[in-house]
Amino acid sequence: MTDFFILIVRSLRTYLRQPAAIIPGFAIAVFFLFVYSAGLSSVARLPGFHGSYLAFILPVAIVSAAIGGATLAGEAFIRDIGSGYFTKLVLTPTNRLALIWGPIVAGGIILVAQVVVILVLALIMGLGSATGPAGLLVVLVFAFLWGMAFSGFAVFVALRTKNGAATQAATLIFFPLIFLSATFVPRQYITSSWLKVATDINPTTYVFNAMRSVLIDGWRAGPLLVGLAVVLAFATVTGALALWQARRATQLK
Amino acid sequence: MTTASAARTPGVDRSIAVEQLTRQFGDLRAVDRVDLEIPSGEIFGFLGANGAGKSTLVKMLATILAPSAGRASVAGFDVRRQQGKVRRAIGVALQEVGLDPLMTARELIVLQAQLFGTSTGPARQIAERLIVTVGLEDVDARKRVGDYSGGMKRRLDLALALAHDPLVLFLDEPTTGLDPASRIDIWNEVRRLNSEQGMTIFLTTQYLEEADKLAGHVAIIDHGRIVAQGTPAELKRGLGEEVVELSFETADGAERAASVLAGVAPQCRLSDGVLRCYFPVAAREVPGIVRALDQASVPLRGLSIDRPSLDDVFLRATGETVDHAREREAGEPAPATVTR
Repeated sequence: MTDFFILIVRSLRTYLRQPAAIIPGFAIAVFFLFVYSAGLSSVARLPGFHGSYLAFILPVAIVSAAIGGATLAGEAFIRDIGSGYFTKLVLTPTNRLALIWGPIVAGGIILVAQVVVILVLALIMGLGSATGPAGLLVVLVFAFLWGMAFSGFAVFVALRTKNGAATQAATLIFFPLIFLSATFVPRQYITSSWLKVATDINPTTYVFNAMRSVLIDGWRAGPLLVGLAVVLAFATVTGALALWQARRATQLK
Repeated sequence: MTTASAARTPGVDRSIAVEQLTRQFGDLRAVDRVDLEIPSGEIFGFLGANGAGKSTLVKMLATILAPSAGRASVAGFDVRRQQGKVRRAIGVALQEVGLDPLMTARELIVLQAQLFGTSTGPARQIAERLIVTVGLEDVDARKRVGDYSGGMKRRLDLALALAHDPLVLFLDEPTTGLDPASRIDIWNEVRRLNSEQGMTIFLTTQYLEEADKLAGHVAIIDHGRIVAQGTPAELKRGLGEEVVELSFETADGAERAASVLAGVAPQCRLSDGVLRCYFPVAAREVPGIVRALDQASVPLRGLSIDRPSLDDVFLRATGETVDHAREREAGEPAPATVTR
């Protein structure tokens, strides 16, 4: 546990020394929040749409920040492998899980801080939460878990390829995850059948649904439990892939 | 965790034992059935050109690479089956430094000590001590390692290797690329660690002078195999007591002299237009040498009597001088070397 804490602190310190790696993802999230909430707010006047469009679009901004923040861990592994420092860490008696999860959790802490700022901005813009502050906390938890899940994927690619460009390219999965879903309008307004299928199989849809339910509808067990199950399943798969790859990376060759 | 007092305690195993150790990379056998026995508290010099197998052997002993065959133990622990225990007992400064460029020197040393189980307060004290030990105390404490020069990085890498007071220290070409003053600083530190803490130090180097000055025992590796082993003095004695060094006006003259003296000297080596011939007593042979060259009309430019150097040992063991081996590795054509 001590190693874990020490490595989280180390990762936080190095992440904060690279504002260029943090700011773009955050700026895109804020851009989504401002531009789409202003430009598409008329969607809220469609028959059958309930709640504010700001509350509807906010999860898109948050998930985009979560994915952007999650790439920090992947890039950190690339930097450590490239500088030879990863070998130095492997040669310490450090717990192997701490070696992998330290940078991932630190990335999660950064993204929680970003999401808090986005929530504050949304509150200033007039956001109302049907479940009050507790609902905002639920949104934060989902953002953290989704970020962890995506970090697992980024770390898996980083350790697998040991290549910064490949790790960057892997984050392009951001686009289908964000946009092949009920991103801008509720599912019932999507007319294209292929996009409906994509929406249904995209795990992000269920994260959006869970966040929107607490912000717009109030406490409903269905979307929350499905959202939680999906995010945990996704995190388990990507976490297992990252650990498998990490074991290979830290074994004798 | 090992401590300084443990390191000084008599009876603590700080030895290295290597038996038929081999490492294969595809068709290339980088280390070929190497045997070494290094007692506790020894500074051991491991000599070889680039690509000879030095770093591969260090990486196997440091548990970074798995041996393809053979066995090795460090500080009494098997490198294959007891990796965790080996890692706790050793400090490693590889040829390629491993430092996070975004962190400062103190942060890196504190982190290294903490990961070996030292709590924060003592880890900070260790960092302050090691910063002075490796001569980085005048560097701005806020300066990130990414802005360090190559020499500063190498010294910091050594400090990291020492952060947990290891029993055995592996230094893979620790002075390559350093200026002469920094090199001497590292030598002094190596001597101090060995004499004050009883640390066993396994030092690979391309610099014969470095091995000669520091090491109690040396081994020379060539194409993955140990080709000579012993104390520097023993290895030099093996060549003969004295050397007659002859220089000539032309390269052709040097080559002709080499064949003329084949019948006079038991052993001669030609390198860079200089012929070195080995004798038990050199002075007695000088008249015969001069007479033979005169009769063959080979113009002599200079003659001196010298003692064999470790370079001579290396030359005999590998067939080329260290300088030539370096040039060959750098892709430059080596000057003609005639080994008879």
